[in-house]
Amino acid sequence: MIIEPAGEQRPRPVPRFARVDVIGGLLLMTIALLVWFGAIELEFGTITDIRSGTLPTILSIALAIVGLGVVLQGLFQPPGSSERLELTIRPTALIILSIGVFGLFIRGGNFGLLSTPQLGLLVVGPLTVFIAGCAADRVRVRSLVVLAFGLTSALLLIFVDVLAVNIPVYPKAIADVLNTSLGEYFALRAGYVVYAMIALGLYLILYMSAERKRG
Amino acid sequence: MADLFHNLYMGFSVILSFENVLLCFIGCFVGTLIGVLPGIGPLATIAILMPITYNTEPVGALIMLAGIYYGSQYGGSTTAILVNMPGESSSIVTALDGHAMARQGRAGKALGIAAIGSFVAGTFATLVIAATALPLSDLALSLTAGNYFALMLLGLSLAIVLAGGSLLKAMGMLITGVMMALVGADQVTGEPRLTFGTDILYNGFDIAIVSMGLFGIAEILRNLEAREQRPVVSNFIGSLLPNRKDIAEASGAIARGSLLGALIGIIPGNGATLSTFASYALEKRVSRHPERFGKGAIQGVAGPESANNAAAQTTFVPLLTLGLPSTATMALVGGAMTLHGVIPGPQVIAKHPDLFWGVITSMWVGNLMLVIINLPLISIWVKFLKVPYHLLFPMIVLFCCVGMYSVNARPSDVLQVAVFGIVGYLLSKLRFEAAPLLLGLVLGGMLEDNLRRGLILSEGSIGTFIGEPLTLVTLGITGIALGSALLPVIRKRRVYLVEDA
Repeated sequence: MIIEPAGEQRPRPVPRFARVDVIGGLLLMTIALLVWFGAIELEFGTITDIRSGTLPTILSIALAIVGLGVVLQGLFQPPGSSERLELTIRPTALIILSIGVFGLFIRGGNFGLLSTPQLGLLVVGPLTVFIAGCAADRVRVRSLVVLAFGLTSALLLIFVDVLAVNIPVYPKAIADVLNTSLGEYFALRAGYVVYAMIALGLYLILYMSAERKRG
Repeated sequence: MADLFHNLYMGFSVILSFENVLLCFIGCFVGTLIGVLPGIGPLATIAILMPITYNTEPVGALIMLAGIYYGSQYGGSTTAILVNMPGESSSIVTALDGHAMARQGRAGKALGIAAIGSFVAGTFATLVIAATALPLSDLALSLTAGNYFALMLLGLSLAIVLAGGSLLKAMGMLITGVMMALVGADQVTGEPRLTFGTDILYNGFDIAIVSMGLFGIAEILRNLEAREQRPVVSNFIGSLLPNRKDIAEASGAIARGSLLGALIGIIPGNGATLSTFASYALEKRVSRHPERFGKGAIQGVAGPESANNAAAQTTFVPLLTLGLPSTATMALVGGAMTLHGVIPGPQVIAKHPDLFWGVITSMWVGNLMLVIINLPLISIWVKFLKVPYHLLFPMIVLFCCVGMYSVNARPSDVLQVAVFGIVGYLLSKLRFEAAPLLLGLVLGGMLEDNLRRGLILSEGSIGTFIGEPLTLVTLGITGIALGSALLPVIRKRRVYLVEDA
């Protein structure tokens, strides 16, 4: 949350290196440098016979020039039109975390530095919804919990049952047991029916009890 | 002429199968639904929903995508009229008079005339596409690689000039996009390029992943910064059907809007948005009561709404006939076509006539469906306007994850979406438009390929390459377009045209 300073004064000049254009231009120049560096080992060819390295090299030089232009534009902006780079960290981090959790645990696997177990959509789905939901300015736990189970159930129905998309449903260990004892389809359907019932149950409990308390 | 009707007949025989009508309906319905939901425009809608079209046949997938596209345009107009929140830039103008009408208790009439205008314009645009497609693709087939290269440069520069915002920054994004297209296996030799020794970059950047991150997720991140506002929706809509006097007042505006929109849509650049501004200005000029504009003039809704619908459809023309998408949204549609094994370009009509004419006639069918979906069900859409964002965005996040995973069953794809989400957020905070990046990414490979082939054909002489009349003229116009954007007068006007449809 950004707290607005009390009594907004006239815009204070933004320091040069906090300006949007200066940072953005430097970013472009960094990309240009990276590509130029990557293109060194590629064959440049000649102008008439362009090879894999021709365009990357030319474009990296062009991008560096554009980047420099943006930096200069930022440095010499009149104070009124310069803009400060302001990022809000909490919601951004939570949304990215929620997607990350989904990617890492839906099927599990070896991601270079860490290897993860398969947790399946039944675990990962509600988790993703809940973590993402915490990014709102006011977290409403009750509605979020109901949504987490209800939406997972609905997506299982649409994607896995109707569209027959191959998504892991259960955590690995449970999946093996359930699929052999119940059969794959029955296990899947049992999964989302149970979740739909949980969502409904939670809704009734959380909201009805609230009603009663209020009288 | 007889050919035209024969082709349209073929198109109708494709679209009128049970499966395709159903897909068209789903596309329009879901498109309207998401278009009505606050904070999500057409581009984000397509980026988010693209994965669900992967499970169908190419024809069905395109019909559905097209439906999502104009459905979400349509949904955007509904929110513009009812709550003065234009879902995207092409309905900003509609909000002026549309919302004024709503405040006077004439919301229903505004919605009704928007629907009727859109339908008329859609019918007209369908005919325009059908009539121009064959000659244009014949022309395109006779173009050399050099011509194509110049044409692409023209299209890309018009797209950034007409899109508004800082030209220099847009150029930076465009070049970055083209460079991203070059990452991965070389088209000719297959050697890894710019992969920095990683496997994950060898396959290059996936358009679906990049766009879902840059447009879908980043949009959520941007929206979360603003404090949540509850839209105030009046429950009183009023009569939906315009009376005879309204029709008489609006019919001229609808006709002019359709014509203007269909023309502007073909030109590369942000056609749908541009046409609404042009139409509004035109209506105000021809009107006998220009003072009524902004205070609920029915022409101010009818003209721009017809124009943006016509333009939204004719933006398909460059993509389907030349293979050159003119907006980021079309770039996504082109990407989806490629994934289904249909390379957008002049060969589409010859190689896949059923697909081509099927998609075109589906636009007309889709427009008809939109009228039916929208008008009687308006009270349902109004309810969707009230869905609070704090429930909506976790749904979109999970939907994106499941959708992306379902395409290739690769967890790393989902992680990449997260990465591009951060990138998109950072770009928007740095005031970069991401749309040119997507255009560059889609066209980069073609650009290099045509440059290479063109230079081989001209036997290495740059003079011969550039000196060919058509290439020279096209490059000349490109220069003029870029140069003129730097002129102060036009620079000022471009400030108004932010955000791509």
